Amino acid sequence: MSMFPVFDIAGSALTTHRTWMDAISDNIANINTVRRTTDPAFQERFVVARERPGRAGGPAGIGGGVDVAGVEFGDTDGVLVYEPGHPLADANGMVRKPNINLADQMTNLIVAQRAYQLNLAVVDRARDSYLQALQINGR
Amino acid sequence: MAVAGIGGLVGALGIGAAGATERAAGTAGAAGAKPAGNQFTQMLDGLQGAVDKSDNLAVKAATGNLTDVHNYTIAATEAQMMTQLTVAVRDRAVEAFNEIMRMQP
Repeated sequence: MSMFPVFDIAGSALTTHRTWMDAISDNIANINTVRRTTDPAFQERFVVARERPGRAGGPAGIGGGVDVAGVEFGDTDGVLVYEPGHPLADANGMVRKPNINLADQMTNLIVAQRAYQLNLAVVDRARDSYLQALQINGR
Repeated sequence: MAVAGIGGLVGALGIGAAGATERAAGTAGAAGAKPAGNQFTQMLDGLQGAVDKSDNLAVKAATGNLTDVHNYTIAATEAQMMTQLTVAVRDRAVEAFNEIMRMQP
């Protein structure tokens, strides 16, 4: 479609990783969301990526980037924590907290941010390359 | 090839003497090559599309409806690159045209 497909491909990856960062942000934001033991816990969000097929007429075998296929959810069990003073605590003093590992989330956040940076670097390099190609025999 | 490009370009821009230039292009060894006027018009359409896309995203950014910052910056970069490419093609075509016009018998 586009005259510079690399921008579309890198742009799709930027969107996907931004979505992943959104999901991580949601997980971290809800890491202390407390529920009653009778209710399901906040479910961890997982972004599912899916490769995008290459454009028609493009080089065979090279895809068109990546898309967000959807969001999957973690378990509703969470972890039961003993907090007898909590207003939502049951008769045994237990509340339900989401089963989200903060260290995992922070690691994923670093990976997502680095991947975002990588794709920005791809855009930058592609732009440099195209501009250099325009300089051929230029004045 | 570049000479065939001028014929089409001149025809497309309506500068005149297109027939003569095209004939000159034909004798210049680019036999069978089609005038590039249509292609250049298509290129301008593509450029218009890229600039429109960039402008729409700029409006979205200004009104706070932009969901992804990189969508705008990439569209702006793409519009800039296509502008430069179009200008480069035009420059080369005009340069070749001028070269032909300077030809001495």
